[in-house]
Amino acid sequence: MNWIKDVKTYTPPDFHVIRDPDRCIRCKACVDQCSFDSTFYDEEEDKIWNWDAKCVGCNRCAAFCPTEAITIENRTSPYRINESWGKWNVVGIKKRAAFGGAPVVSMGSDKPYIVYWDHMLLNASQVTNPSIDPLREPMELKTFLGKKVDCLEIENNKLKTVLSPQLELELPIMFAAMSYGALNYNVIEAIGKAACELGTYFNSGEGGLHKDHYKFKGNIIVQVASGRFGVYKEYLDVASAIEIKIGQGAKPGIGGHLPGEKVTASIAQTRMIPKGTDALSPAPHHDIYSIEDLRQLIFALKEATEYKKPVFVKIACVHNVSAIASGIAQAGADVIVLDGFKGGTGASPQVIRDNIGLPIELALASVDDRLRQEGLRGKISLVASGGIRNSMDVVKAIALGADAVYIGTATLIAIGCTMCQQCHTGKCAWGIATQDPFLSKRQNPNIAAQRLVNLVNVWALEIKETLGAMGINSIESLKGNRLALRGFDLNEKEMEILGILHAGE
Amino acid sequence: MKLVKINEDNCVYCHLCEVACKTEHSESKDIIKAVKKENVLSRCTAELNYPYSASIMCRHCDDAPCIFACQNGSMHKDERGYVVVNPNTCVGCWMCVMVCPYGVIKQGKNDMWGLSIKCDLCPDRSIPACVEACPNEALTFEEL
Amino acid sequence: MKYVIIGNSVAGINAATAIRQNDTQGEILIISDEQTRCYSRPLLPNWVIGEVSLSEERMFYRRSDFYEKNNFKILLGQKVDSIDTKNKTIMSSNSHTIEYDKLVIASGANAILPKNISGIDLDGVHTLTNIKGAKKLKENLDNIDSIVIVGAGLIGTKMAYDLSKIGKKVVLVELAKRVLFPALDDYGALLIEQELKKAGVEVILNDSVVQLNGDKKVKEVVLASNKKIQCDACLLSVGVAPNTSFVDSNILIDKGIVVDDTMKAYDDCYACGDVASIYDIVLNIKRPIPILPLAAKEGFIAGLNACGVETKFKGGFAMNSIEIGNTGFISMGIVESDNDCVLEFKKDSEYRKFIIRDNKLIGVILVNNVEKAGMFNWMIEKGFDVSWIKDAFLNSDFGWKYFDKAFRVLRLDRKLKG
Repeated sequence: MNWIKDVKTYTPPDFHVIRDPDRCIRCKACVDQCSFDSTFYDEEEDKIWNWDAKCVGCNRCAAFCPTEAITIENRTSPYRINESWGKWNVVGIKKRAAFGGAPVVSMGSDKPYIVYWDHMLLNASQVTNPSIDPLREPMELKTFLGKKVDCLEIENNKLKTVLSPQLELELPIMFAAMSYGALNYNVIEAIGKAACELGTYFNSGEGGLHKDHYKFKGNIIVQVASGRFGVYKEYLDVASAIEIKIGQGAKPGIGGHLPGEKVTASIAQTRMIPKGTDALSPAPHHDIYSIEDLRQLIFALKEATEYKKPVFVKIACVHNVSAIASGIAQAGADVIVLDGFKGGTGASPQVIRDNIGLPIELALASVDDRLRQEGLRGKISLVASGGIRNSMDVVKAIALGADAVYIGTATLIAIGCTMCQQCHTGKCAWGIATQDPFLSKRQNPNIAAQRLVNLVNVWALEIKETLGAMGINSIESLKGNRLALRGFDLNEKEMEILGILHAGE
Repeated sequence: MKLVKINEDNCVYCHLCEVACKTEHSESKDIIKAVKKENVLSRCTAELNYPYSASIMCRHCDDAPCIFACQNGSMHKDERGYVVVNPNTCVGCWMCVMVCPYGVIKQGKNDMWGLSIKCDLCPDRSIPACVEACPNEALTFEEL
Repeated sequence: MKYVIIGNSVAGINAATAIRQNDTQGEILIISDEQTRCYSRPLLPNWVIGEVSLSEERMFYRRSDFYEKNNFKILLGQKVDSIDTKNKTIMSSNSHTIEYDKLVIASGANAILPKNISGIDLDGVHTLTNIKGAKKLKENLDNIDSIVIVGAGLIGTKMAYDLSKIGKKVVLVELAKRVLFPALDDYGALLIEQELKKAGVEVILNDSVVQLNGDKKVKEVVLASNKKIQCDACLLSVGVAPNTSFVDSNILIDKGIVVDDTMKAYDDCYACGDVASIYDIVLNIKRPIPILPLAAKEGFIAGLNACGVETKFKGGFAMNSIEIGNTGFISMGIVESDNDCVLEFKKDSEYRKFIIRDNKLIGVILVNNVEKAGMFNWMIEKGFDVSWIKDAFLNSDFGWKYFDKAFRVLRLDRKLKG
C-alpha cells in the first residue's frame, strides 16, 4: 500500500487489527468494506494487511469477515501510566500541537461521567397489590403530546372545551432529530418507514425534508433551527408538529456546520442552499434573544399552520434549565424537548461535547419539579432525549416526569452504528453518516426499517412487562411517579434533585 | 421461473456471495477448505465501478446460446429448467464462453480438461447460497 | 406428418429436437451415412491422440438414450443419392425410396481435397472432418513418426499441436502469411505460432504443397518453394465444402444450399448447418459458415419452421474459440480492417482487438482473457450501437460495470428481449 504514516502527531495507533492467517481466505470482504483505507490487499504476497493508524475501530471488517479471522483490539496506552493526566489529555495535547486546530468529534460524550439511569431501580408488586400479565391483559402505551386542560366541559353530550392540538403516539418513543446531510437518504427513508409502521414520529432535523419523504406525512416532526434550512410552507404543511431547535445536548450554545463537500445536489435542493457551499447554522437564532422573542416565533409558526400543530421547543440541558423551561412553557410552546449532554452529534468541538451541559436525568427531574411548582406541568409535555439507551431508561425517564423520549444514537446503533465517532469524516463504513453513494448503499431502507421496528417493538414489550410487574396497566399511570424509583450509590443531593428515595427507604 | 434478481442499489461489494458460492460448490462444504484447498471458483462475480457494484451470475436464458454452442451436450437445461453444465462431459472448448451474452461463464480446470463453471442455482438448496449469504438483499430469489 | 432429416450431426439433431418439441406425434426419420450416433466433431483431434475414447459419453453430442427417448427413427450407414423435391421423395444408396412431408437437409460439409496436388490418393494421406477419416489416422498413428499437415486452420493447428504433444514430428504448411488465417490477425497468429513452436511444431508459411511422393504410401512432400519434407503421413486440412451432390435442380446452390430467413430451400424442404448458405451479418453476404454454434441454431430454427412454428433466423457470423498450449483465443467477425475504427490493446500475453464500423462492432479478437467474449458476441449479433461504450472495450476487466445503469438493469433483469 502506497502510504507513509504521518508520524507528526507523535501518537501511536488506537487499534490493532489482528488477522488469523489460518482462517483468512483472501475473500477481500474486509478490504472493500473498509472506508478508511486501513485494510488493503497485497497481490504480490497474496496477503491482506492493515495500517493500524488508519483504523477507527468501526468493526465493519470484523463483522463481515465470513471466517471470523479478524480481531480488533484496543492498543493499550504505551505511555507510562499517569492517573493524573490520562491518555486522553496527553493525546489531546499532541493532536492540538500537531495540527493547530480544535479537534472535532462526533456521537455523544464518551467520558466516564456517572450515568444516573444505572443508579435507579424500579419497583414491582408483591402481595399487597397484584401484578399484571401484559400478554393476557391490555396494556396501554398510547401517549398524547401537547397542552392538556384542567377539566373538560361537556354540553349536550358534546365536548365544549376546545382542545389544543395533540400528537398521538402509539408508544412513548420517537426518533430524534437527525438531518438529511448528517444522515443519508436511505437512512432517513428507513427511519420514516419505521415511524409509520410503529405509529410514532421521526424528526427531520434541521436539514429540511427531501420531497420523496413527504410520503411519511402523518409521522413527521419538522425542525426549525437557527439556519432555517429548508423551511417553507410545504415543509410545515407536511409536518404533524414543528420543533424549534434552540440547542443540542452534544453542543449547547454552538451552531452547526455541514461542510460544503457533503452538500450534494440533492441536499442543496432540500436545504435550499447552493450546491457545495458550507451549511452554517448560527449559534443562536438571531431573532431570539429572549423568551418574548421565542414566543413570537412560536406563534408565527402556529399562525402559519392555523394553530393545528403542536410546537415543540428543544433545548440543551444547561445549568438553569428549569427556569428556561418555565419560560418556554409560558411562551406558549406545547412540548419541551430536553436534550442531555450525552446526546449525539454529527460533529462538535471535543471540549464542548465533553464539558458542557447536564445529564438528562437531573435536568428532567428538576424541570418537572419546577413546572409542577409553577402549575405549568399540565400546560406542556416533556420529551427527554440524549442518552436513552434501553427500554428501562425509557421507563425511568417517564417515572422521572417525561411524557415521551427521543432516541437518536440507539436508532443508529440498531442499523449498524458502532459509535466509532467518525460521523464528521463522512466516511461512515456502516453507510449511515455519509453521503458517499457507494457507502450509502450499505443501508438498505427495507432492512434498516425492519431493524428499527424490531428494536422499538421489543422495547415496547419490555416496557409493558415492567409496567405489569409494577401492577400498572397504562404508561400514563407511571408518568412522574417517582415512588416507582429508588436510588443507590447516590448522595443525598443527587437524590433530592432526582426526587427519589434511596433503595431501602 | 424464479431467478436471482440483482439489486445493484443494495450491493455493498462484500464478496460474501462469492464465498458462499465457493463453499456450496465445494466437496467439503467447508468455507476455509473450499477456498484454500479446493480452489473452487465462484459462479457469481462481484464487480465494482464506484459507486456501482453488483454480483453478476448466469441469467438462465430461455433460448440459451451456450446450449446451442456446446459441442457435446454438456450444457443443458436440467429438470428445473435452469441451464447447467455437466462437469463429467465438459471438455473446456469455451464455445459457451464465446456466445454467453452476459459473459458469466468462467474457465475452470478439471484434471486434464478445461471445465466451464457457471451458476447452477444450487440444485441442493431451496434458496441459492449467494442469495442466502447476501447481507443487504442485493441478491433476491424471485420471479423474473 | 413425416419428417425426414438428412444428416445425423449437430444441425440434424437440433432440427429433430425442435420438431419433437412442437410435434409429439409426427414421425421423424434421421438418415446418416455414418455408423455411430451423433458425436462431437471438434473432439476428433483429441480422440485421435487418445485423450478421449468412444466409450466416454463426452465424445457424443447427445446421451445414448436420446433417440429412443425422443422417438426418433434412425437409418445409419445409408447415403442419400438423390432427392426429388417435386414428388417429395429421397433415394437412398440401397435404392430405397423414402417419402417425406417435410425434409431437412443437414448433410454438412466434406473435407476439401485440393485437385492441384498430385499423389493425393497415396496411402498415408488423411483428412479429419469425420470419424471415418479420424479412425484411419488413429489406426495408423503408431506407424507415424513424422507428419506434414497441410493447412493451418482450426483443425490443422489443433492437430499439429496435439500430435506434437504426443511426440510426433510435425510440419505445418500454410499457404497464407500466418496460421489460422481468417480467424486471427498477424499479432494474434504470432502468439499462437509461438505456442506451436514451443511445442516443437515446424511452421512453414507462405507455401503450399504441390506434390506428394511415395510408392504406395506417402514418403515425401514437395512444396511450391521446391522444399522437400520427408514424412510418414500427410494430413489435409485446407477447409470444407458443403455436401450438396444429391440435391435436385429445384434447390439453388451458391457455395452451399441457398436458404431464406426461415431456412427454407424449397417447398417443404429446409437446409441448415454447414451445408446451408446463410446470411453473414458482418460481411453482408450469403455464404456457408461451417461452425458448430451456428449449425445448432440453424438446425433448431429449421426444425421449428418445418413443423410450422414460424421463426426467423437473423443470420450469423464467423466465430472461433481454440486453445493452443497456454494461449487461448476467441475471435468473431472480421479480424483485419484498414478502413474501420480499430481498437487494440497488448500487454504481456493478453491481446484485445476490436473493429468498429458505423458504431457497430464487426470484429473482435481476444487472446488470453476471453471470459467476457460473449458480451461482444451479443453486440455483433444485435448490431448494438457501441459508440458510448467502446472506450471501455480495451479494459481487461470489461464487464457490466461499464454499462449505463438503465440498460444494465434491463438486461440483467431479462426485460430486454430481441
